[in-house]
Amino acid sequence: MESHSSHSSVAGTGPRVVHWSVISRGTLLTLVSVSGLVLILGAAFSPDRVLANLLLVAFYLISLGLFGIVFVAIQYASGAGWSVGFRRIPEAMSGVLWIGGLAILPVLASLRVLYEWSHSDVVAHDHLLQLKSGWLDPFMFIVRSVIYLFVWIGMAYFIIRRSRRQDVDGSSVHTERNVLLGALFLVVFGVTFSVASFDWLMSLEPHWFSTVFGVYNFSGMFTSGLATLILILLGLKRLGWLKREFTEEHLHDLGKLLFGFSCFWAYIWFCQYMLIWYANIPEETAYYELRTQGIWGALMFLCLFLNWVVPFLGLLPRAAKRSAFAMARVSCVVLVGHWLDLYLMIMPSIREGGALPGLIEIAGATLLFGLFVWGFGRLLGRANLVPARDPYLPESLQHHV
Amino acid sequence: MIDQRVVMVFESADDLMSATRAVRESGWKIEEAYTPYAVHGLDEAMGRAPSRLPYITFLCGLVGTLLALWLQHWTSSVSWPLNVGGKPFNSLPAFVPVIFEIMVLFAGLGSVATLLIRSRLYPGKKVQLPSVDITNHRFALVLAPQDASFSHDEASQLCRRHNAVALHFLGDIENKK
Repeated sequence: MESHSSHSSVAGTGPRVVHWSVISRGTLLTLVSVSGLVLILGAAFSPDRVLANLLLVAFYLISLGLFGIVFVAIQYASGAGWSVGFRRIPEAMSGVLWIGGLAILPVLASLRVLYEWSHSDVVAHDHLLQLKSGWLDPFMFIVRSVIYLFVWIGMAYFIIRRSRRQDVDGSSVHTERNVLLGALFLVVFGVTFSVASFDWLMSLEPHWFSTVFGVYNFSGMFTSGLATLILILLGLKRLGWLKREFTEEHLHDLGKLLFGFSCFWAYIWFCQYMLIWYANIPEETAYYELRTQGIWGALMFLCLFLNWVVPFLGLLPRAAKRSAFAMARVSCVVLVGHWLDLYLMIMPSIREGGALPGLIEIAGATLLFGLFVWGFGRLLGRANLVPARDPYLPESLQHHV
Repeated sequence: MIDQRVVMVFESADDLMSATRAVRESGWKIEEAYTPYAVHGLDEAMGRAPSRLPYITFLCGLVGTLLALWLQHWTSSVSWPLNVGGKPFNSLPAFVPVIFEIMVLFAGLGSVATLLIRSRLYPGKKVQLPSVDITNHRFALVLAPQDASFSHDEASQLCRRHNAVALHFLGDIENKK
């Protein structure tokens, strides 16, 4: 028990923001403002490309934020004890949700740049888009986007507030309430995240549709979220935190999850691809015809390699899942892979010719990194690093694979 | 030098675990531990080397993958080519689901078969237990025949220290029905 109390006292009196060994607050601010400036300057030349990158950054941030609260909700709803010791990390990840919400505002404010269905003159001459106009309506689109973000941020707030209150009074009522709240959130999340991915990403190509698109985005969101969680935990451990709460045994279990969800991503990727390839219906194949040729085709193979082949072969041996070295490297590859996955979902709809990532994409990626570290660190510094009075904490500390 | 196997019987998993660690520290060889249910961490306490079964599983999966690939290529584009929806005869996307299933089948059955053969659990195998109680409520630790560092006195002392309820010496479990 000494370790918990020392942690809480350190978290209470120590620095409010966790400073990464490689990044100080000043560097972070410079990084965010320089990449923001590049994007603003870039908007003068190609506003569609900059907005598409903003959409990518916003969706990636929202995915990581949602992962945090989905992970916490799953642990509560399933009565899992093993992860309680490091629960504050996924909790803090949800601190980037509102930043992602802000980042998507410019996209919502200028719908006409990215979304073909928002042009009433185009819809007037397009039978298919007329049929879809009941859902794809600019006003309703913005209203829905705001509702998704409010629901997610609101429910995350209530779950995290319960978790923190338990640090004060140690009552197990908070755990019981969060089991209900977590289960409710998972149901709400399942529906809203699917529909949000239809809205924000799938409607970029409004003639195309795929019913598995929501599941596909869930698999990518969960895999990249796990990779982020693993990297943060390894980083904190290296800085001397969570020595007892995050051991080789916890790393092993997170490795199994990363391995499994990476295979799940590949499985859903193939489900979507093979059914469209087999049925060969023109309105469905248009999406892959564009993405399997030329530069896009090469990037698609790279995407499969980064998101599935590397984690599959890299994490297959038991020893790899227990090694910080292997896990950190595979997690980095998965994060780059997920960025590429989103790039391939968004970019081909505005740049048909095929384009390798350039300066604007690099600026988008550094902005994404900077905003995440900032939003995450902000929330992490606001509570004890360890939920010291959670009834499952002893089980978490004794976790053995 | 003792030519016999030593069997220590315990009432609880905790006693078995502490005795296992003590026996290992004394440098004596452990042959096997018998428990009525899986005891967490016992394989580590016994100092067992990691299982090599995953390598066999991987190999079987690889064989299944290649066999399924070859089977589908041969049947659908060499032996009896059929035009399905105008697709090329040799279409990898159509083969993937079957490749996956055969890979899982080979890896799964191969692992189970390897485990049974390696553990010599063939049909009609006679049960060989140090004590029938271990199928119900007791835990047994079997030491291999030891070298000169082992003595009966030390063994019974160790038994007393870890609350053993019985201590047997067996000539050879394999021969004892």
